[in-house]
Amino acid sequence: MDNKKKTGIAGKVLLAATMIFFYLPILYIIVFSFNGSRSLTHLDGFSLRWYEKMFADSTMMEAVVYTIIIAILATIISTIAGTLAAIGMSRSKKILRNLVEQVNNLPIMNPEIVTAIGLLMFFSAIGIKKGFLTLLLAHIMFCIPYVILSVMPKLRSLDPNLADAAMDLGATPFQALTKVIVPQIMPGIVSGALVAFTMSFDDFIISYFVTGNGVQNISILVYTMSKRVNPSINALSTLVILLITFALIVVNVVPVIREKQGKSGQSFSKAGIAVCAAVLIAVGGFGASMLRGGTSPEDAVAKYGSNTLKLYNWGEYMGENLISDFEKEFGVDVIVEYFDSNEMMYTKIQAGDAYDVLVPSDYMIQRLMNDDMLQKLDLSLIPNLDNLAEGVQNLPYDPNHDYSVPYFWGSVGIVYNHENVDPAAVEEQGYNILHNTDYKGRIYIYDSERDSFMMALKALGYSMNTDNMDEIYAAYDWLLEMNDTMAPVYVTDEVIDGMINGSKDIAVVYSGDATTILAENEDMSFWQPMEGTNLWSDAMVIPANAQNPLLAHEFINYVLTYEASMGNSEYVGYTSSNEEVMLELSSEEGAYGDNEAYVPRSGYEKDEVFQDNPVLKKTLAELWIKVKASK
Amino acid sequence: MRQFRNLIYPYVGWLAVMVVVPMLMILLYAFTTAGNDVTTFRFTLDNFVRFLTDVVFLDVLKRSLLIAVATTIICVLLGYPIAYAIAKGPEKSGFFWIMLITLPTWINMLVRTYAWVGILQDDGLLNSFLGLFGIGPFHMIHTTFAVVLGMVYNFIPFMILQIHSSLAKMDKSLLEAANDLGANPVQCFTKVTLPLSLPGVLSGITLVFLPAVSSFFIPKLLGGGQYVLVGNVIETQFLTSGDWNFGSAISLIMAVIIMLSMWLTRKVDTDPAANGKGA
Repeated sequence: MDNKKKTGIAGKVLLAATMIFFYLPILYIIVFSFNGSRSLTHLDGFSLRWYEKMFADSTMMEAVVYTIIIAILATIISTIAGTLAAIGMSRSKKILRNLVEQVNNLPIMNPEIVTAIGLLMFFSAIGIKKGFLTLLLAHIMFCIPYVILSVMPKLRSLDPNLADAAMDLGATPFQALTKVIVPQIMPGIVSGALVAFTMSFDDFIISYFVTGNGVQNISILVYTMSKRVNPSINALSTLVILLITFALIVVNVVPVIREKQGKSGQSFSKAGIAVCAAVLIAVGGFGASMLRGGTSPEDAVAKYGSNTLKLYNWGEYMGENLISDFEKEFGVDVIVEYFDSNEMMYTKIQAGDAYDVLVPSDYMIQRLMNDDMLQKLDLSLIPNLDNLAEGVQNLPYDPNHDYSVPYFWGSVGIVYNHENVDPAAVEEQGYNILHNTDYKGRIYIYDSERDSFMMALKALGYSMNTDNMDEIYAAYDWLLEMNDTMAPVYVTDEVIDGMINGSKDIAVVYSGDATTILAENEDMSFWQPMEGTNLWSDAMVIPANAQNPLLAHEFINYVLTYEASMGNSEYVGYTSSNEEVMLELSSEEGAYGDNEAYVPRSGYEKDEVFQDNPVLKKTLAELWIKVKASK
Repeated sequence: MRQFRNLIYPYVGWLAVMVVVPMLMILLYAFTTAGNDVTTFRFTLDNFVRFLTDVVFLDVLKRSLLIAVATTIICVLLGYPIAYAIAKGPEKSGFFWIMLITLPTWINMLVRTYAWVGILQDDGLLNSFLGLFGIGPFHMIHTTFAVVLGMVYNFIPFMILQIHSSLAKMDKSLLEAANDLGANPVQCFTKVTLPLSLPGVLSGITLVFLPAVSSFFIPKLLGGGQYVLVGNVIETQFLTSGDWNFGSAISLIMAVIIMLSMWLTRKVDTDPAANGKGA
């Protein structure tokens, strides 16, 4: 008796410790959803701004609805299908069962990206329209294996004679299934359903590549928004926690009440199903009313042939009102989807997904042009082209703007803490400061093969577009030496938060990110090395398979207006392609007046623009992985 | 029972269409060279040779497997007592605990992992807390510790769920019988409870090990870009360098390794399962 008590107490302590471990990050997320600043690591006063932003963002609210509907449907369907399949498997011949088990493991063990690309190609090959249906099918596909894995152990320990006995006693096979087998394996089914729900709710990569036409889930938004850390994602997570907790309370309280009324047994599973159904209907209704879309005046259709524009842009790359203002002014609907890398975008375009406007980077535009995947622009429809800043006129990849109109631009440079690093040293040593062991362990390097090789090649005095293998290997050695002697940390967008908080002293970053860092931390300075740098630009293009090229031209023209460009550049912090906006923001009274990173250097002979070279890119990517992995 | 045998066929059909066909499309890449022309294939084994002959890549593979094994072992060692403690309690509170453990997994993995970045920083929450007692600060972010912690945090709920579901409906009279026949509590556990829960442990291992080997975001965020695991190499091939052929080949190599290790696990499994049936 005494012993039992002891283990009981030990169990409680263990569970309490487990809960702290599980809920510490959750608490952290909730606290930071009320943070006054953008930071996800440092608190800066209390505010509700991220909640306001979340509720104002209709894409986010739509994503919540889609995520819940898909997760519930996928869970129900895959739990039923998986349980039946598992029962079938447990009765099948060994060879067939083993084969199915192996294939069943494939979606669990394949890296998600592999499954994602496989499905993308499959759906494209059979010509099914990407959206809700493809998303649901994909989720069912990767959820069933988890259900089977959960149900199988229970079936293995189940006495195979039970069902036979039931049928000998006159039960139909259906009754034997539902009254005998299913109750026995219920714990396995429940845990299978929970894992399936989790997997569906949290899935990003597969969802990203199989969906389209504006159907997005929370994870897609979270991943593509991480370009610029955005605490409204914490607000969104807090909302999800609240929703789930509420559902949980209902599921737990309802059976207790029913039990008090004299019912017991399996009522809680029934109550659970009832609650799920209710939530589904409520969410569905809410979703339907929301997805109905805005007004669609006939004149937009008459003028452009359609009233919807499909835009595919970087995450967190637009002013807060850009889309809503455009929709209002032209009486149209804009469906926005986001990408996180040029290659992600290219993969979807190559698979045949149709968009009206894309915003790729320089080298990617060149590739799309070479692949004949872009439409020639009708410049007479884009009179605002006259507003272009001088730095982005006549860029080498498209000198006459036949295909592209710049959106944002900038350079790559060194952000450093001038309290700890001598500005004279940075200016004198340029990229070689990254070999200066005085600063060992205090540097961030942007995790990109292009920009890393750019700085190594520039430091050695070569062109960043070289295809001379001797020069490339020299750069490789330069990077290896940096990796071995300087203990750098390779980051992507975390660099912004890290430098704002002063976690390191030196970082190689895009000028637009430097603008944000300098604006938030006045100890930081920016320097563009004299050895030259990468002059990059992201530009708007119209893909060859665009459905509404007329409206696409209207949108491109609109982005170049003073108001739209101002909204974009003020919010994102990247350099505007609109000359007037750029000059105003960088003037004394402008928002970035004293920010040395906002206006990139232009006209310097050692600066270059990236050229597309797919073969070289693969070589660089492989060498870059080797640099990072070498120890 | 034969009636139920047919239930497998719809799923076989589904697997063929939704899993095998897309996988074959990927496989084709593994054995071909890059080229824009999809209609002319040039078969090659270069992609495999490139990976398997490179010390750096083999190191990456070794490290990934080690990390995944470590994660799996920790998940079993921690997850079993937790599941056991839950299963020992009353059934209703059991459901409640299981929901409490599952709930955090419904928050986006990236968001949760970001939270750990903040907690584990040099001047983060954990070090500030330890600092109150005059301990530390410890350098935790961008270390193996952080990566394993992140993986255990993300995957252990699956282990607990699986073990709990095989403990939950265990016939309690078996334990009483063992007790009556003179078994001490330790023997009761090792001879009765443990063998009966092994199928759950094994599917838990599958659910932790498989995603841990190919995980990508956790090492990237908690280990830093220098923490390259095989999942990162594959993701890079598809998402930044665009070398699908090489990426497919690596994931095929990984699939073979994993299938072998799963096959070994099942070999080990057949013994106790037979014991369980005998009991």
